[in-house]
Amino acid sequence: MNLALALQLLIQGILLGGIYGLTAVGLSLIFGVMGVINFAHGQMMVIGMYISYWILVLVGLDPYLSLPLAAGAIFILGYVIQSTVVNRILDFPEAMQVLPLVAMGLILENLALLFWGPDHRSPSTALGLATFTLGTATVDVSRLIAFSLAIAFTVALFLFLKKSAIGKRIRAAADNRLGAQLVGIKVNRINNIAFGLGAATTGAAGALLLPLMPVSPHLGHDFTTTAFVVVILGGMGNLLGALVGGLILGVTESLATLLLPATLKQVVSFGLLVVIMLIRPQGLFGGRR
Amino acid sequence: MKRLYLLLGLLLLVLLLLPLVLDKYALGIFVMIFFYAYLGQSWNVLTGFTGHISLGHALYVGIGAYVSTFLAQKFGLSPWLGMLAGGVLATLVALSLGFLGFRFGLRGVYFVILTISCAEIARLVVSHIDAVGSFSGIFLDFKPGLANFQFRGNLPYYYISLGFMVLGSLAVHLLARSRTGRLMVAIREDEQAALALGVNTFKYSMTTIGISAFMTSLAGTFYANYVYYLSPNSMFGMGLSIDLILRPIIGGLGTVLGPIIGSFVLTPLSEVSRAYFAKGGLEGMHLVLYGVLAILVVLFMRQGILVYIKRALKPLLKLED
Amino acid sequence: MGQKKSEGKEVSRRAFLKTCGAAGLGAMAISFGVPTLLKAQPKPIKIGSIQPATGPLAVIGQGQRRGNQMAVDFINAKGGIKSLGGAKLELVLGDSETKSEVGRSEADRLIKEGAVVLVGAFESGTGMAVATLAEQRGLPFLVDVATLDDITQKGYKYTFRIFPTSTAFAQRGTDFIKEIMAAKKLSPKRAVVTYVGDAFGKTQGGFFIKHFKAANTGIEIVEEISYPLGIPDLSGEVAKIKAAKPDLLFPICRPGDSMILTRELYKQRVELLGIISPGSPGWYEPSVVRDLDKLALYVMDNVPWINPASPVYQEANKLFEQKYKAYLDTNTGWAYTGVLVIADALERAASIDPDKIVAAFKATNFKDHPMVGDAVQFAPNGDNKNATTAMVQVLPEADPLKRVKVVLPQKFAQAKLVFPAPQLWDRG
Repeated sequence: MNLALALQLLIQGILLGGIYGLTAVGLSLIFGVMGVINFAHGQMMVIGMYISYWILVLVGLDPYLSLPLAAGAIFILGYVIQSTVVNRILDFPEAMQVLPLVAMGLILENLALLFWGPDHRSPSTALGLATFTLGTATVDVSRLIAFSLAIAFTVALFLFLKKSAIGKRIRAAADNRLGAQLVGIKVNRINNIAFGLGAATTGAAGALLLPLMPVSPHLGHDFTTTAFVVVILGGMGNLLGALVGGLILGVTESLATLLLPATLKQVVSFGLLVVIMLIRPQGLFGGRR
Repeated sequence: MKRLYLLLGLLLLVLLLLPLVLDKYALGIFVMIFFYAYLGQSWNVLTGFTGHISLGHALYVGIGAYVSTFLAQKFGLSPWLGMLAGGVLATLVALSLGFLGFRFGLRGVYFVILTISCAEIARLVVSHIDAVGSFSGIFLDFKPGLANFQFRGNLPYYYISLGFMVLGSLAVHLLARSRTGRLMVAIREDEQAALALGVNTFKYSMTTIGISAFMTSLAGTFYANYVYYLSPNSMFGMGLSIDLILRPIIGGLGTVLGPIIGSFVLTPLSEVSRAYFAKGGLEGMHLVLYGVLAILVVLFMRQGILVYIKRALKPLLKLED
Repeated sequence: MGQKKSEGKEVSRRAFLKTCGAAGLGAMAISFGVPTLLKAQPKPIKIGSIQPATGPLAVIGQGQRRGNQMAVDFINAKGGIKSLGGAKLELVLGDSETKSEVGRSEADRLIKEGAVVLVGAFESGTGMAVATLAEQRGLPFLVDVATLDDITQKGYKYTFRIFPTSTAFAQRGTDFIKEIMAAKKLSPKRAVVTYVGDAFGKTQGGFFIKHFKAANTGIEIVEEISYPLGIPDLSGEVAKIKAAKPDLLFPICRPGDSMILTRELYKQRVELLGIISPGSPGWYEPSVVRDLDKLALYVMDNVPWINPASPVYQEANKLFEQKYKAYLDTNTGWAYTGVLVIADALERAASIDPDKIVAAFKATNFKDHPMVGDAVQFAPNGDNKNATTAMVQVLPEADPLKRVKVVLPQKFAQAKLVFPAPQLWDRG
């Protein structure tokens, strides 16, 4: 066993896991509150990437600085999607809820294709190639930033839900929609905000990923699946669980590189998923069933 | 009810005679309508009737396609027989998946994840088996002939797929009316209550997933000998899994006619939007339109299109409900 | 859509009869059709183009459409098909969405709309589906780009391919690498091959590895790394490459992953003599050259490239640059050539009867094309006997649109190759 390589992979896995976590946190929040799976999640992230790409190319503002704008724009997108579509399907049978969100993903993906064309776009950014060494291992600065911000955002979101007035209403609506309605909470509006927040985190993830990978309309698809796996690992609806789930997945996939070709790495994540689900269906850290 | 059957019989007659006036392209569209209606029906058996949502049904399509094609290429076995072999394997796989899911009581989203995971694992594993072409997939030989399940024109494919759809729907209809079928619905409505009444929900869930997988895998063989190319991503991928559930959802979940109606709406919709909007300079427009229409259908026809058709035809057919 | 339908109906009915009917029936339809055609403006001849214009390969598919369309415009500007009374060509577009069954259905639709020849399909799976359909319908299909050998090995009579096969790529690639090492008096020992995990990557990679190992180059392939199409992160794979301590990297990419790979090689400071692709996209596209900028430099790619000396190329490329701010590359170049080869066959066939077009294809000896290699001539199985590749290299030049240069073979070379390349992080 090559120790230096293992160390390198471990570091990369942890950093990658933070990003996985951030993409999954929003999905988990949306599921926790509304009980729907946002199949358009990855596509929303891609729109976030395009927005920070646009700002970078047109104004020259670095993705890290335009992050609030990307997150804000995707917040609005999420708010609109919730108020126009998702609020109307909340009491549909589970299987019926799949279609509108799958279709939403298709729409977003192809709108991106129409607006930005099919090219893979990967502009160079200020910190895009920055690294430093830690012993024998190389640490990628933009990944480290993404990782740190991912943790910060998740914790902030968690505290927001715990402490703020809106957060409390969101939790109330998640626990008992009817009850919340009875005590005078405008549940639909609260849902809009919750979906918007979930979307905003994925928009922020998009801005953080722009320095790391080329953006193209079709990119979102795989991120939805990954986010999905992460959410199940951590427990549906459990935000901190999603972060830890992301870390587990990142490290497992990265270390699996030692033994398996990358094309088989996902077998490990899906296998892990099945095993965990059978043993602890509520996810590693508990969640909504 | 009698009038409904009469109407259906009439429609079937129309479909049987339709090729007289259709060109090859139109025939091809109908083949896809029947194909997806049949696939939707096969999925409907499991999800529509028992409520266990599978988002990994591509797994069985893939098994059906790969097994029959492999046997045909390696041993010269007719796909008509290979199809049954694929069906048996698909059933066995489904039963083991079902065993895990039902034994451990995975419901709702957790069952969804289980089905996705198994399909994805299968896709990745098949991608690494050199005997079936790994990533490259299988390129089928074109040897027209009834025994080979391969034909020059679209006409035989039309009738075969129509047969699949009609016989599949008939089977589901009979099943739904049987005691098993009624118990299946009981599981969907309230599994705990069914259990309390002494229904062996495990047994019925297992039966259903087996039937569903068997039916689904047959469609795989058809696909292989219609398109002549199989790849792990297209046959086992999530794209197909999602594609094949859209029609029953739009048509009406848990009804026998739902998948058929859904397919008659959705398949031409995707075909027409592509034909008229997939022009140069507007690449992607047709998929946006398709998505918007699909959302509208769900929003405004929440119980599926079938309910509205029934309502419209009520006076004519003297239906009860 | 209105005018298309009213005008297309007659044509499609006729074309339909022709495609499904026996040769005699087709000939009759033509003998009826020709006199009326001659009097008025002859009806346009439709060519059906099936490319992956949406989905994961959209970037290439849309380029293919442009290549096809520009060649159609070129032929029309020169007076159309003269032997058919100056009939203009018309491109009818199909979108495979990168799915085989959609490609098949689109092909059927284009035939119905009156296409007499099909061209496409970039992705080999769709290529196979369309080739089988062409065989079923008895309509000629010209593969402009698609590498998998299988397509032309099914004994189909109606399918022709102008693009090199994976076998041809592997042989040429190995020879070029030997030639470069000999010329530079280098004897590297270790190499890593990476390929993307899809039909193209697996075949292209597998054939290259097999051929390279058998070729006694003295270079050992110490690691083979495959990764899924559309992977968002290659840090693990690059760490593995670094640990294998290769002198050379032979990557087979799709656009997108090449950018991740190169940046990651930079970040992890993987020292290499150079990056030489055995033949894949991802290195020469305008967007890659622009976005990677200095990091894209010195990469070599073994591809069936344009012939810089060809006047046909120069004329086409000028238009392409004006219109799309991009240059003709391997894929768009062959898409362009595909339609030229079809026009040439139509000219000699002087007919739109499918079997006469097929006969004309078989007799093709088409020299005036924009790509490297001799005249397009088809072997009995339908492959272009003279399809070949060149080694191109991305070299420093102020204008990003002029950076990709042919360096081998000498006959076509535009610049001297630079090897070994300066390390990615030593480029100022």
